[in-house]
Amino acid sequence: MLFGRKQKNPIKIADVGVTKWEYTTCGYCSTGCSIEVGLDRQGRAVASRGVADADVNRGKLCIKGIFEHELFKSSGRGTTPLMRDSRLQAFRETNWDSALDKTGAEIKRIQSRYGRDAFAIISTGQIMTEEFYTLGKLARGVIGTNNYDGNTTLCMASSVSGYKRSFGSDGPPGCYEDFEHTECLLAIGSNLPEQHPIIYWRLKMALEKRKFPVIVVDPRVTMFAQMADVHLAITPGTDLVLLNSLAHVILKEDLADRAYIDAHTNGFDEFAALVEQYDPVSASRVCGIDADTIRHVARLYAKAGAAMTIWTMGINQSTHGSDGVVAINNLNLITGNIGKPGGTALSITGQSNAMGTREWSSCSGLPGYRYLESEADRKEVAAFWGIDAEFFPKQRGMFMTDILPAIETGQIKGLWLVATNPMTSMPNTPRIRKTLEKLEFLVVQDAYRDVETNEYAHVYLPAAVWAEKEGVFTNTERRVNLVRNVIRPPADAKPDFWIFSQLAKRFAGERKLPHFPETPEGAFEEMKQLSKGRMLDYSGMSYAKIEQQRGMQWPCTEGADSGTPRLYSDGKFQHADGKARLIPLPFIDNNERPDTDYPFWLNSGRVVEHFHTRTRTGKIGNLNKFSPTPYMEMNPDAARALGIAHGSYARLASRRGDAVVMVQLTQRVPRDMAFIPFHFHECVNRLTLGLLDPHSRQPAFKHCAVKIEPAPDQAAAARINAAARAY
Amino acid sequence: MFEPRPQEPAYAFIPDAPHPETNRYGKPIETVPEGHALRGASLNINGDSSVGTNPNRYKQHGFYFSADNCIACHACEAACSEKNNLPAHIAFRSVGYVEGGSFPAYARMNISMACNHCDDPVCLKGCPTLAYTKFAEYGAVLQDPDICFGCGYCTWVCPYNAPQLDPVAGHVSKCNMCVDRLEVGLKPACAAACLAGALDFGVIETTHEHREQLETRLPGFPTPEITHPNIRFQQAKSLPREMRRTDSMPLRYVRDERHANVYTPTVAEDGRPRQWNLKKLRSREDPLVIFTLVSQAVVGAFLVLFLGPLFGVTMFAHAAHPLLHATLLLGLLGIETVALVLSTLHLGRPHRFYRAFNNLRNSPVSREVAGIAVFYNLLGAYTLFTAVPGLFAWLPRSLLELAVQVSGWGALLAGLAAIYFMSRIYRIPARPFWNHWQVLASFFGNVLSLGALTAGLAYLWAGDAGAGLAQTLALPVLAGLLLEGVGLAYHARDLTRGGGEGAASHYLQRTDFGYTYWARNAGLALSALMALALAWLGGGALSWGLLALLVFGTAIVGRALFYVLVVPTTMPGAFFWRNRGFERHARETGLADLPQMGIVPDAH
Repeated sequence: MLFGRKQKNPIKIADVGVTKWEYTTCGYCSTGCSIEVGLDRQGRAVASRGVADADVNRGKLCIKGIFEHELFKSSGRGTTPLMRDSRLQAFRETNWDSALDKTGAEIKRIQSRYGRDAFAIISTGQIMTEEFYTLGKLARGVIGTNNYDGNTTLCMASSVSGYKRSFGSDGPPGCYEDFEHTECLLAIGSNLPEQHPIIYWRLKMALEKRKFPVIVVDPRVTMFAQMADVHLAITPGTDLVLLNSLAHVILKEDLADRAYIDAHTNGFDEFAALVEQYDPVSASRVCGIDADTIRHVARLYAKAGAAMTIWTMGINQSTHGSDGVVAINNLNLITGNIGKPGGTALSITGQSNAMGTREWSSCSGLPGYRYLESEADRKEVAAFWGIDAEFFPKQRGMFMTDILPAIETGQIKGLWLVATNPMTSMPNTPRIRKTLEKLEFLVVQDAYRDVETNEYAHVYLPAAVWAEKEGVFTNTERRVNLVRNVIRPPADAKPDFWIFSQLAKRFAGERKLPHFPETPEGAFEEMKQLSKGRMLDYSGMSYAKIEQQRGMQWPCTEGADSGTPRLYSDGKFQHADGKARLIPLPFIDNNERPDTDYPFWLNSGRVVEHFHTRTRTGKIGNLNKFSPTPYMEMNPDAARALGIAHGSYARLASRRGDAVVMVQLTQRVPRDMAFIPFHFHECVNRLTLGLLDPHSRQPAFKHCAVKIEPAPDQAAAARINAAARAY
Repeated sequence: MFEPRPQEPAYAFIPDAPHPETNRYGKPIETVPEGHALRGASLNINGDSSVGTNPNRYKQHGFYFSADNCIACHACEAACSEKNNLPAHIAFRSVGYVEGGSFPAYARMNISMACNHCDDPVCLKGCPTLAYTKFAEYGAVLQDPDICFGCGYCTWVCPYNAPQLDPVAGHVSKCNMCVDRLEVGLKPACAAACLAGALDFGVIETTHEHREQLETRLPGFPTPEITHPNIRFQQAKSLPREMRRTDSMPLRYVRDERHANVYTPTVAEDGRPRQWNLKKLRSREDPLVIFTLVSQAVVGAFLVLFLGPLFGVTMFAHAAHPLLHATLLLGLLGIETVALVLSTLHLGRPHRFYRAFNNLRNSPVSREVAGIAVFYNLLGAYTLFTAVPGLFAWLPRSLLELAVQVSGWGALLAGLAAIYFMSRIYRIPARPFWNHWQVLASFFGNVLSLGALTAGLAYLWAGDAGAGLAQTLALPVLAGLLLEGVGLAYHARDLTRGGGEGAASHYLQRTDFGYTYWARNAGLALSALMALALAWLGGGALSWGLLALLVFGTAIVGRALFYVLVVPTTMPGAFFWRNRGFERHARETGLADLPQMGIVPDAH
């Protein structure tokens, strides 16, 4: 049976010559995988591999992590600061001193001329927690603008808001290990196989050990929906109705955990009165899920010994995202499914360190889940930083999604963007272009000089990316994990940490400056002190301990050997009375809906090979090749009626703008819906409306109305599309 | 030795599971018995002479794929590309999909596919350079890029698109089963990376945990009969009756109502319009269009010239027109030389051309090349003996005459053999459009028609021949055209009847290239009529020239169609990756110029 050459050459198998593996944590999503970067003899990053004994990923990596070492040599990196007086001029290269002097001077000029809050800062979920903490210190304690927020307003704000409303504090109460214990999993607006493949794997392994029902709520037949036992193909934007109705059935059929409700919650009567209105028959008319199925799912969920809900952007990016999160919390509170193994309401977070910014960046208040609104918190932080407490505003300022309109109408004149790309990521990008044009001064701090927003910048600061620097990330399950510095940033790019403390120096003499530690670990020590005794207690952690345990979950009190997998296991919540709140949530249908002029729902979401606005993944061939150009999933029956062919280009138009995309016909989407991945520049967000959630100010990216037509000139459409693809 | 990670998890190691003595194809799973000479040798991976510790080293291994579980997360593809340090445009493993049903009763079935390390590796048999070896160790079929000269024949014969011809590197490479990992008991990188419990690996015919099926059929997967692949599937979830492809191949898979798991490839007629698409006739195989036609014309012209006198065409005797005879022969040698150079340059590594003869035992490519080489050399000798007999004045006359006869008959036989093997090259089960006796009919039809036309052209243009020559030579032209025409008619009929990829090719032939196809057919018919007229009435150089123009033009279009129309049995692609239609679009629109597109811009 064997044939071939008798004289065999030695077998050659690629060997990139790794001589050393360096521990770090993945910098893409918030799963928080431990990853090792392989360095060759010359110290170049040549390989990536999962850390075998890390609890989160247990040696596995998704496609993005597998090629993460290629990030360091990707194109378009900033190598030196750039400056110009007007965005109509070409950038000229400069040095750090001039760039930071100019930035400092412009901030001071704008603040003195228009007021302290006329200069705004929008940061990110991408940089290290120590950097967030330092930026917060700079923004709150030195620059003193109250218009300071993170792009997490585009992704997790509704979860933050919902957790705060229900439990009295932000902080996802569950963990991945809950999959091992749960008896029923409800996933709403979460597509784990594309968004969080490693978490999907953890779920799949739990299911292979012990089968339990999986219910997926999604308007599309995603792979997750296909793998589920029950798929609820919900009408976009109506998840609140479904959740209220599930609660209705549970209360009606006396399936609720009355003992838990009585002991640990407030507001039951008002809540019960509200859900009384959401009988399954009425609800089915709105949410498109038939009454029998609603009852079946409600019973399944309530009768399970432990049941958990996970969600992502399908809930958060909605006009009632915060309410959706509260409704999930309500569901889990009335069934006693908070803080117990397998029973939880676990938001699956987006960016690698969205949690870090929520905890420590001071965006929405002060570090360590403290509030500007609390005098005690203001005084404590001011004392710790050595500044005057009166320097802090007494109420949080604008959210990111309010800062941009304030620029549009002239209340804000200067903006600093840190590792975020609103030209691609914000809804209604034609309006964002118009907005950014109006800035007197825009400074863009990013690892990539070709980040689209740089088109409008006056100063560009080249930042280090991922493991070119050191610090910690917090993941979805509150696990703090360490990013070790494995490689130097290219040329003159600098860690964000260094940039923040250097910029602070430009304000010396203006007012008393807080102390800025030299190293991230120094900042980490400050955070530990500030966290002592609080829910997000870090004081038992150290860099060495984190690396050795491959991440530690907070709370981790001083002297503790390890972290804590779940919050609220004792039934004590963070509201002043120690109880959780059951909140009545009337559904107000305020969003745009398809009509005769714009007859299609437009839905957007992620694909596994790309991250956010593609500034990183669009440059790595082995990722980008799987979706190298924007496309739209469209139902073939709808396309036939419009004369749109598979693989051709179509033009979509909404009341905001238009976009040209390639058409992928598939029955995965219903007849009246188109789905477009959100990663691409000049694409889906030219169409989106993005009405804001009243609590979280998060835009409703997920649903608006569009019309679709074949692109009249296919060759021109191909040219337009190619021209928008610089990477 | 490959070094496992510290604390390497259990899932990364190959499970030990009981297996039968023989596999389903009747072959023993043990590759070589205890004590066999091949046992105990080092694989010499990257010069490491140690011997692996895997206790199942001499058992056939294979992949296990559960289509029920695959989520198309690309982790297997990525892990493979990372492990093998592959550029974006090359992938040893690819995930494609088929989908069916209507929203929300919709199902997508993903297929992750690399090399199946077959029991009957057609790549190995087809490779002219012997770059492939099926190893006793794990039954792995490995290919050595350092031997390969980049002809790409293995990429034609493999039904699974496993060998990857890299147009940049100029050679083929493929899945190596991660034998370095196997030596220490680890699964290949792809299987160890799977995030959905879909891809697994082990000794063949073993049932792993959480699996119940060991199927060899899956919608979109070619019949296992071609190569006896070492892959086993699980696909227990109900699928819709019809599964469609998202790539540009006009194929769908329809459930055979008698066998729930058997899906028959069927043409997906989508009402596409009939077109010319003349530009799309150009392809990477352009040099082969020239090479095959020229070789057939040259062999044919020599055949006519050499056999002519035996059939009463006395003017073809050397003595009748010594100068013309010699000029024609030299001309034939000249154009064959050009064709050979073209076909050699078509190789990824032309300087390794001499390796074409390495696999005479199995490869039709080796045999064809050998046939052409013998023909070419004997034709040269014959030319030398007949054109410049003065050189051989020292030889006894009878001996020279013998040399003329031996070289002539030898060239004739070698030429015919070469054309026969040339036709065998295309008899590939994985390429149903080619796998038909029409190839033989066309090739020999062209030997007759193009050969007679070429010889006739020379003599008629030289003005020495009367109308009688055209009348006589029109007969082989006519015979050749008829032979080709009959072959094509049966081909069209059998493609339609056979269904599947062949019928899909024929569908493209009638739509995307519809006008071109009918123009070719009309050209053939017109040529035959003209040849008939010439045979009846005779004709001069002008009418002969017109006929030649028509026949050669038709032949070029026909041969170009032959190459561009083939729809292989390869795995379904995805919407972008492994979608020929998108690749072409990206090249045409310049998208492919971005290196991170993973599509090499057009070379020709």
